[in-house]
Amino acid sequence: MGIIYRVNMSDLTARAEPIEGSAYEALGGRGLTSALVAAEVPPQCHALSAANKLVIAPGLLTGTGAPCAGRLSVGGKSPLTGTIKESNAGGMAALALAVLGIKAVVLEGAPQDRRLHRIAVDRQGVRIEPADELAGLGNYETVARQVGQFGDKAAYVSIGQAGEMRAAAASVAVTDVDSRPTRHCGRGGMGAVMGSKGVKLIVVDPAGGQRIQLADPDAFRRAVRRFADALGRHPLTGQTLPKYGTNILANVINEAGAYPTRNFSQGQFEGTEAISGERQHDTILARGGVIAHGCHRGCTIRCSRIYVDDQGNYVTKGPEYETVWAHGANCGISDLDAIARMDRMDDDFGLDTIETGATLAVAMEAGIIPFGDAQGAIRLLEEVAKGTPLGRLVASGAAVLGKTYGVSRVPTVKGQSLPAYDPRAVQGIGVTYATSTMGADHTAGYAITANVLGVGGRVDPLRPEGQVALSRNLQIATAAVDAAGLCLFVAFCLLDDPAALEAVCEMFSALLGRPFTGDDFVALGKRILTDERRFNAAAGFTAADDRLPDFFKTEKLAPHQITFAVPDEELDTLFNFAE
Amino acid sequence: MTARPMPRVKLNAYATLRAYLGGAASIETEIEPGQTVGSLLERLGIPADQTRIIFVNNRAAGPSDRLEGGEQIGVFPAIGGG
Repeated sequence: MGIIYRVNMSDLTARAEPIEGSAYEALGGRGLTSALVAAEVPPQCHALSAANKLVIAPGLLTGTGAPCAGRLSVGGKSPLTGTIKESNAGGMAALALAVLGIKAVVLEGAPQDRRLHRIAVDRQGVRIEPADELAGLGNYETVARQVGQFGDKAAYVSIGQAGEMRAAAASVAVTDVDSRPTRHCGRGGMGAVMGSKGVKLIVVDPAGGQRIQLADPDAFRRAVRRFADALGRHPLTGQTLPKYGTNILANVINEAGAYPTRNFSQGQFEGTEAISGERQHDTILARGGVIAHGCHRGCTIRCSRIYVDDQGNYVTKGPEYETVWAHGANCGISDLDAIARMDRMDDDFGLDTIETGATLAVAMEAGIIPFGDAQGAIRLLEEVAKGTPLGRLVASGAAVLGKTYGVSRVPTVKGQSLPAYDPRAVQGIGVTYATSTMGADHTAGYAITANVLGVGGRVDPLRPEGQVALSRNLQIATAAVDAAGLCLFVAFCLLDDPAALEAVCEMFSALLGRPFTGDDFVALGKRILTDERRFNAAAGFTAADDRLPDFFKTEKLAPHQITFAVPDEELDTLFNFAE
Repeated sequence: MTARPMPRVKLNAYATLRAYLGGAASIETEIEPGQTVGSLLERLGIPADQTRIIFVNNRAAGPSDRLEGGEQIGVFPAIGGG
């Protein structure tokens, strides 16, 4: 049993559709968002027009009691890339939707005016209510004003000023276990699509909900125990991620010579130790912050943390590795407190932290402010909330700002900024950046595993050989993980421990009531990527778009003095299963 | 005749492995020419079973790789994120 809510923002009506018997039966997460967008959104439509749809879906395993299965997928056509998009986040909303039996909320159409609305979802159904009083507010204040009415058990999905401006770097915020809007579907401007629908926030009240029905509850419980044991046993998901958080990567990527510094001009940053996960851990504990904080109930990894200032006052979550890099090394900034403040601003204004940090670095390259100018970067960010022309440029992403200021070194693919690994020194992730259906995206096929971390085998990061096969296999597996609603960090364990993958397949089998094998897992991933590739082709994307910016092939990166060397013809074979 | 100075290397330890350097982030130490990374780690008391990632001069390396002096070594436990 499950329902899809269709919320029509043109005439402010909502209706429920059973998922059983529909084309979307037995789909969830990215599997559902991408299938629905591919089937129902005209690929050539403007992403901010009424023809686009915003699909919000919990994963297949969300709400079942499976550990680390609380991801929320948000999909649509991206105003940043022009491609199909799925961006997912943790937080509490996926669980709240799942226990209400809701497989997706689909925002359709668009209002004729600029009024804002609140969508309230609970056991009774969906209500569309005016929310003009929230106009111009950041995510923190937006949520704070709602918690009094809906309580701290409800989950809140909202946009900040950037989403209201329909800016291409706007995120969709999701509240965490403490009702703070700290978990974001960041990539690809899904917040702008939500803004174009006139929706400021969605409140999901899970009261009266119940766990997802399972075909074989006993088998499911056994599989959950095996999976949880595997996650706890693996040194990464069981020890270092809870202790240090995601930013433990800073030093290893810097050692590998792949830590993009000052807008991808060098592969090592002299200030890395000051912004490393080790320093962050010590700082948080010395100030009375929190480590090993789960972003949703049921997370056993708990890689989040609570960052406080030197007086012990809450500043923000994490910040995460990508955020610290984007606003840190990539901008030549080594002040962790300034980075944490910018993370808080990004979350509040509703901005993708990767895109925003990359844009600030391009602004530095353009000479608007110098590299290393933390206070200047903070002032530029403040422009976003004010809605000034410069602020709108910052919120439009690196490609637009770079073009506006005549910058030639702009690290984007399909208009989306590269994350925190230089593709010259980690060539496998370069393949993922170039070919992903999402634009430059590390999570789409996280080749750092075998290229640097020694997880799931080893492939030399400095040579082109073997990178396409590595990226292909990871992109397929990731699509399936995203459909399950599992946190991608379980993949570290899945890649190393056969018992973990078996346990995931057993959970699927016990949920669905039919055998589900590793082959089915792969088939699910391939099906999703095939849907996405078909949408992008119809939207006008060709092999010429599956390329890194030219400077990665012409400018040598220190310390390895290396360029990206995977041949174009090899990149074009990545989706050989889909065409 | 004066003895030639022993070659030296710099070793950076990260995350939980810093505990084996008394909490220090790095150490400079003398080595025997041709000494392996593994034997150096053993001498420093860094357990092999907790060392998942090794770099020598920013390139991936293993415990059997030999050192001549002047190298910079980085060692990590199992880590990840993203």
